[in-house]
Amino acid sequence: MSNVVVLDNGGGLIKAGIGGEREPTAVVPNCVGRPLSSKKWLIGDQLHSPSSDLTSASLRRPLDRGYLINPDLQRDIWSHIFTSLLPLKNPSLSSLLLVEPLLNLPSIQRSIDELVFEDFNFNSLFVADSPSLVHLYEASRSPYGLVSKTQTSLVVDCGFSFTHAAPVFQNFTLNYGVKRLDLGGKALTNYLKELVSYRSVNVMDETFIMDDVKEKLCFVSLDVERDLQIARRSGRDNLFRCTYVLPDGVTHTKGYIKDPDEAQRYLNLEDGAQSPQLKTKEGMDRLEVLGKSNDRMRIDLTKNEFGLTNERFIVPEMIFRPADLGMNQAGLAECIVRAVNACHPYLHPVLYESIILTGGSTLFPRFAERLERELRPLVPDEYQVKITTQEDPILGVWRGGSLLASSPDFEAMCVTKAEYEELGSARCRRRFFH
Amino acid sequence: MGSCWSFGEMSWVKYVDQAMDEDTSNPLRRMSSRTRKVAPKMVAALASNDNRTQAALARLEALENDNAGAEMVEINEDDDASLDDDDQAYMRKQSKSTKRKTRQAKALENAKKAPRTFLELVNEANLESLPPHVPSYLRAAVGPPSSTSRRHFCTVCGFTANYTCVRCGMRFCAIRCQTIHNDTRCLKFVA
Repeated sequence: MSNVVVLDNGGGLIKAGIGGEREPTAVVPNCVGRPLSSKKWLIGDQLHSPSSDLTSASLRRPLDRGYLINPDLQRDIWSHIFTSLLPLKNPSLSSLLLVEPLLNLPSIQRSIDELVFEDFNFNSLFVADSPSLVHLYEASRSPYGLVSKTQTSLVVDCGFSFTHAAPVFQNFTLNYGVKRLDLGGKALTNYLKELVSYRSVNVMDETFIMDDVKEKLCFVSLDVERDLQIARRSGRDNLFRCTYVLPDGVTHTKGYIKDPDEAQRYLNLEDGAQSPQLKTKEGMDRLEVLGKSNDRMRIDLTKNEFGLTNERFIVPEMIFRPADLGMNQAGLAECIVRAVNACHPYLHPVLYESIILTGGSTLFPRFAERLERELRPLVPDEYQVKITTQEDPILGVWRGGSLLASSPDFEAMCVTKAEYEELGSARCRRRFFH
Repeated sequence: MGSCWSFGEMSWVKYVDQAMDEDTSNPLRRMSSRTRKVAPKMVAALASNDNRTQAALARLEALENDNAGAEMVEINEDDDASLDDDDQAYMRKQSKSTKRKTRQAKALENAKKAPRTFLELVNEANLESLPPHVPSYLRAAVGPPSSTSRRHFCTVCGFTANYTCVRCGMRFCAIRCQTIHNDTRCLKFVA
């Protein structure tokens, strides 16, 4: 039995489990939250429990911009996960595979090592970065595919805190080629909050609700100009208008989409590229409750609800054009081109042909399609552009880690506690070549 | 609302722009002296003369906040104290009443305990001193966009915005949105 704990310590979600398994045991928010009504901070999975009322909860996160800034808070969250969610009796008998952000700072690496070896007493530690794990996982899924034959890929990780385009070669991330765009799911949620708060209801404190709105309703537009025109129309002609109902705390403790059919209408707009997705079962139930179609049309002020039109595609749009937000950064397509150009010219054609999308923010519908449309004009004609999406972009990194942890020579790659005590953090870290 | 409107408004905008050139430096002096709640970065932005760029930066910073409400500090405009001489203000307060912890003292104590932000850690790591071939957090940032110019969206309704507010630089698309902007948002530097 493997006793390697695989921990993908993301800014938004922690993915934790035992190496060798397919699914992580715990996927919980990497934050503590305190509801208005109580003084106790809820950790991780407690935030998901149906009894807790998260309206206007205040949040604390151990990570800022993807990097660990609050080791004390992280220790509390980890110990909660290890003791109550994972069957981890004694960390001193287990190894830890930890996913760290790219180009981590030495001071942060030191505090992580302290956390792992001195607070939790793990037997050994291996630090991996997300692009190489995603590459490993994709290569193992198709042993005769391009990724595994050439051992080369370009991983685009669009997560909670930032977006990275990272070339991977022979299972190692080429760190000189890594390009970062300082936009991720968190900034997008905050942007959506800002827009909705100004235009309809003040939701500045409702991080969880707005995350849900973003995940369920936002999509990537293929033609912003045209879609803005459509969003201007009134009534049924406006294919993007939809209404989200906020929880009232009595009958609904979770917010929901008032009319899921209406929210899916934008899919029919395109040249039949995608078939409308199946409605969620929950949505169907709601629909029956709400019934009458005519009262769906207008905003009911007695219920707390708000309408969304152009916000639905303007929010994810910022990943492709951060300049619109006032950021002095290039969009995702250009980010990829610059990452590729930083590598050896022999790698360029292969990198463009093996782009892998991972991270929760790539789940916006049509993300890959739009990216390909933006990327194609920037790439030389003779190269092919091929974008692969992962089957589960949120768990992709963790599964790669699980795979690596179950490989026979994993133990040999780790830094043991004895080595750490002998050599210290900085010298142990050289082993991982980051 | 035809093109007629747009033309009229454009010239009006230009005219006012010229007229206001002399006293753009202190449109902020005429604010109420009551204590207002402003995000910490906003304090610096409001104090500076080049407040448009500063506010834009502060706003980008705000997109990375966890809580909208909790990260507020109170600034009291009656008091001359800026954020930097909080210590002095704290000392003064303490000499007056030594028995009880004031709210300010508590806040200061929390601030000391609070973890440093990531940007502080980056500054501390002194990444600029690395030789140019070593990849680092700062060098990994994708640079400015090459060709695409910025599109502007109306801060009120979200559609393409052709006009800029002369006082605060925010965008709006029509006179209706301008009215809303002036009533609610002008010079508040939020989006």
